[in-house]
Amino acid sequence: MTTSPEKRRYPPWLLIAAGAAIILATYFYLVVWQPESLVGGAGVGPAALVALAGYLAGSALIIAGAMSRMPTSTVTLLPIAIAINIVAGQINNMVGLPLYLDSIGTVLVGLLAGPAAGAATGALSNVIWGISISPASLPFSTTQVGIGLLAGLFARWGWTRRLVTCVAAGVITGGVAAFISGPISAFVFGGANASAGRSAIVALFQTLGLDTLGAAIAQGLTVDPLDKAIAFLIAVLILRSLPSRFSTRFPFARKHAVFAPRRASALARTETADATHQEDTLQGGRA
Amino acid sequence: MSQTLNFYDEGTTWIHRLNPVTKLVFVAAVTIAAFGVDSVWWPALLFVVLELPGAVIARTALRFCKLVLGFFGPFLVILFLLQGLTYPDPGTVLAEFGPFAIKTEGLVFAGTTALRLLVMVGAFILLLLTTHPGTLMSGMQQAGLPPKIAYVISATMQIIPSFQARASAIMQAQQARGMETSSGGALSRARRLVPLMGPLLLGALTDVENRSIAMESRAFGSPHHPTAYTVVSDSRTQQAARWGMILLGVSAIVLNTLGVF
Repeated sequence: MTTSPEKRRYPPWLLIAAGAAIILATYFYLVVWQPESLVGGAGVGPAALVALAGYLAGSALIIAGAMSRMPTSTVTLLPIAIAINIVAGQINNMVGLPLYLDSIGTVLVGLLAGPAAGAATGALSNVIWGISISPASLPFSTTQVGIGLLAGLFARWGWTRRLVTCVAAGVITGGVAAFISGPISAFVFGGANASAGRSAIVALFQTLGLDTLGAAIAQGLTVDPLDKAIAFLIAVLILRSLPSRFSTRFPFARKHAVFAPRRASALARTETADATHQEDTLQGGRA
Repeated sequence: MSQTLNFYDEGTTWIHRLNPVTKLVFVAAVTIAAFGVDSVWWPALLFVVLELPGAVIARTALRFCKLVLGFFGPFLVILFLLQGLTYPDPGTVLAEFGPFAIKTEGLVFAGTTALRLLVMVGAFILLLLTTHPGTLMSGMQQAGLPPKIAYVISATMQIIPSFQARASAIMQAQQARGMETSSGGALSRARRLVPLMGPLLLGALTDVENRSIAMESRAFGSPHHPTAYTVVSDSRTQQAARWGMILLGVSAIVLNTLGVF
């Protein structure tokens, strides 16, 4: 049972790819090729089980793949980020806001350490929240995988350098998150969820004539874009108010110049300028 | 956040002494069985026959019921209000109030979903009540969970309570500097979060650097599998039981699909 890298039979990206493939397959089974589930009347049929099993297995593979090569500086960041997610999410649920606020830490890691690390943070965050305080968050870990992944990608594309594009990135991420979480909240939870405010929105869409899956996605679309825009904004503001030494310690943030050039010190400015220049040449090479 | 991150109820019954992985497999098997079988009463049966006696044997029946109800009560109400009143598919209408209609199918759907969730959450809470978080992590690590993942999980569990302690320290410090903490409307309360959350988050994030240096110097990233400080006992019987439970869970689905019950 040794896990030394030399003896590894498969590379980490294979695990991530396999996890993503399982999640996508589950999604297409549930949404595109709609099984006779809610129509049956008597119960939810196999859809709930497929949603649970497929999403959880996919998230587990992604966690395993992303964590296996993570440097220690990122690994020690993860518990802090996850604690931020859980504490903010728990406060939100207690106050009863119709938001989630449980992905600030996920976005933070995505910006600092890249898409894979962000995805692992998100998935682990809901797993830990599930096994510690609220078991109902466990099935939603796949949504957080999507959020972490997109946060990393938007950071790589430079969307987080300005606040306007950063908010736009949050809105897009929120839209995607709504579509990912729809099947879980419809098939596993029957549309209801831990926050009364959010459930009321589902009820509203159901009275307007949508089915439970449609209402769950529509509820997500009303809440998630705002919620994720807030998460992106808070994460960027936190990281900007930290000394630049902190974010430049992460190779991903340094290489892709995730944050706006700073005016605080000449040293930091030349460093970020170098990084932007580097990225420009990289992009030029690709084009 | 008043809840602590620890449900563990100390005890010495055989359920407490089981290998955590066995209990985790029980959670998985019973969840598979509950979600895989198309019947309203089946999950209720699982809960009454497997989980309640488990809680009684582990002598945590009272806390078990409290936790399950505490989590489950509000959810149950929301679910029945939602699907009982606004079930979207056509069905037998029992009563109508304006835009709302109570349908038999909606009630059955709400009931099935609720009972399935009851089984899943109940199994989880039973696991958490009878397993110390540390033992759970050691057990998982012995079963092959990578040490990095185990570190992240157990570190988070420890960091959240220390977040609370740090938050109250920051609050006292800000009060000593003259910050009002108990007056004002929603907006001024929200504005007051900034001087509280700011130092909390910035402090926590700057700790990351020190911790990672300390851990690297203790060979944390080393590819070799570390030896365990606490060895969680395991037995052939439990190994067999784990496979047995998974087989039972899957066979329940197979039998149901074949129409046996």
